[in-house]
Amino acid sequence: MNINDLRNIFGDCELNGNKICIKYNLHEFLSNLKNNYSFKLLKSITAVDLGNETELLYNLLSTEDEEDVVISIKVQNEAESVIDLFSSAIADENEIYDMFGIRFIGHEDLKRLYMPENWEGFPLRKDYVQDDTRLVWNDNGDNA
Amino acid sequence: MITATTLKLNLGPQHPSTHGVLRLVLELNGEKILSCEPDVGYLHRGMEKMAEGMTYIQYLPTVDRIDYLAGCFYSELLCRTVEGVNDIVLSERVRAIRVVLLELNRIASHLLWIGAFLMDLGALSPFFYAMREREMILRYFEKLTGQRMMYNYFVFGGVRKDIAYLEDIEEIIKVLPQKIDDYEKIITDNPIFLKRTRGKGILELETALNYSVTGVNLRASGVNYDLRKSDKLYEGFDFMPVILKGKDSWSRYKARVLELRESLKIVEQGVNKLKENTNFDQKLINPLTLKLPEGEYYSEIEAPRGLASVYIKSTGEDKPYRLKWRTGSYYSVNLLRKLLVGEYLNDAIAIAGSLDIILPEVDK
Repeated sequence: MNINDLRNIFGDCELNGNKICIKYNLHEFLSNLKNNYSFKLLKSITAVDLGNETELLYNLLSTEDEEDVVISIKVQNEAESVIDLFSSAIADENEIYDMFGIRFIGHEDLKRLYMPENWEGFPLRKDYVQDDTRLVWNDNGDNA
Repeated sequence: MITATTLKLNLGPQHPSTHGVLRLVLELNGEKILSCEPDVGYLHRGMEKMAEGMTYIQYLPTVDRIDYLAGCFYSELLCRTVEGVNDIVLSERVRAIRVVLLELNRIASHLLWIGAFLMDLGALSPFFYAMREREMILRYFEKLTGQRMMYNYFVFGGVRKDIAYLEDIEEIIKVLPQKIDDYEKIITDNPIFLKRTRGKGILELETALNYSVTGVNLRASGVNYDLRKSDKLYEGFDFMPVILKGKDSWSRYKARVLELRESLKIVEQGVNKLKENTNFDQKLINPLTLKLPEGEYYSEIEAPRGLASVYIKSTGEDKPYRLKWRTGSYYSVNLLRKLLVGEYLNDAIAIAGSLDIILPEVDK
């Protein structure tokens, strides 16, 4: 699968190496890639906090020629869930919700994964406070 | 949904056979599993957040802890990413050193798995045998790096010092094949073992891909996907990826045993290369002035528990802006949702054990 062939499918998109930046219709694109272009394995979903928005990177593997393609989309606080296409996204999306607070529409069971259930804030966001007073290491209340 | 006829059972987080702290919430009808909900996070150390506050050299010693049974692989990933940016090509000897250590690490990891898996099934002796052989490898690592598990031996641009005590590795190469034969004699065709693993935990190809299962678990379901084949580090090493078509727990066991033998072959070739090529030269990167130029960097490697990768976004500072680890076990745990459904509670441990899950890798 040539990366330039993909441009035809996506039409209006930005290409950067094997990274394709799209603006909307994430679910439709991934569905197209999975069903018609043999990108059947979703290696991982990565989220990056860019300040005013969050970039989601979907790293897909083609089972035909072991080529990688990365789909990038920038979202605010909500994104389309892809768990109906890739079950592995259950874990990825949950982690991103836990760490970045992105809500995935269509993912019914989003919950705190690593952090305690009543934790406030999303640690990997850039505006998260570093010297959190809840992280106390001794009785005097000193942060480590 | 829990109803009057079903039972909710917590397996873990302190269960001895979850290999760490994993909690599985099982819904049972009699002994049959209706649903499984893995609950992780008991070992979360914030490896990704930590990276954002550290320079690369400060972060390097901590990455061994992502998977403490195969720490070399994660050091290699970070080093590889930094070297890729700085256009550093490893010399033949340094490359061979890295391959030998990575494969020894893989052997140690698989050996522990064989022991632990058999212990999950109730057979205690193989654990002692496997630990005995693993000890040889750990002793060697201790002699070479000063550490038994967290080696911190790979640095940006090469390795901390030249390899030594090759005779110890040769001893391992000599002894281990016979020991693996011994394991196979008592395990592989053992009727009790066969009853507990044959046809249990069938992982169909579609499911495996859908749940992003990689590594040995995927290869035991018949997919020829081994990153080492396309890895530049392994160039010039001759080995065959182990592909089995059984799809069950037994195949995953067998695949790991065969992989042990393949890894030994790679180690042997590596030792021969080290003997031929004694010219130890490496160009280390000065870690104090190390900055990655603005951009995104990605590397991946075939770790013992599947595909491992690192993604780094840098803004040109001496610290990463964002660093993300992808680990194999994380997806294997997620797979339990599907794989345990319809099986009996007795088999749950055997099936979960066969996937080679390690919790520090899941929680990061």
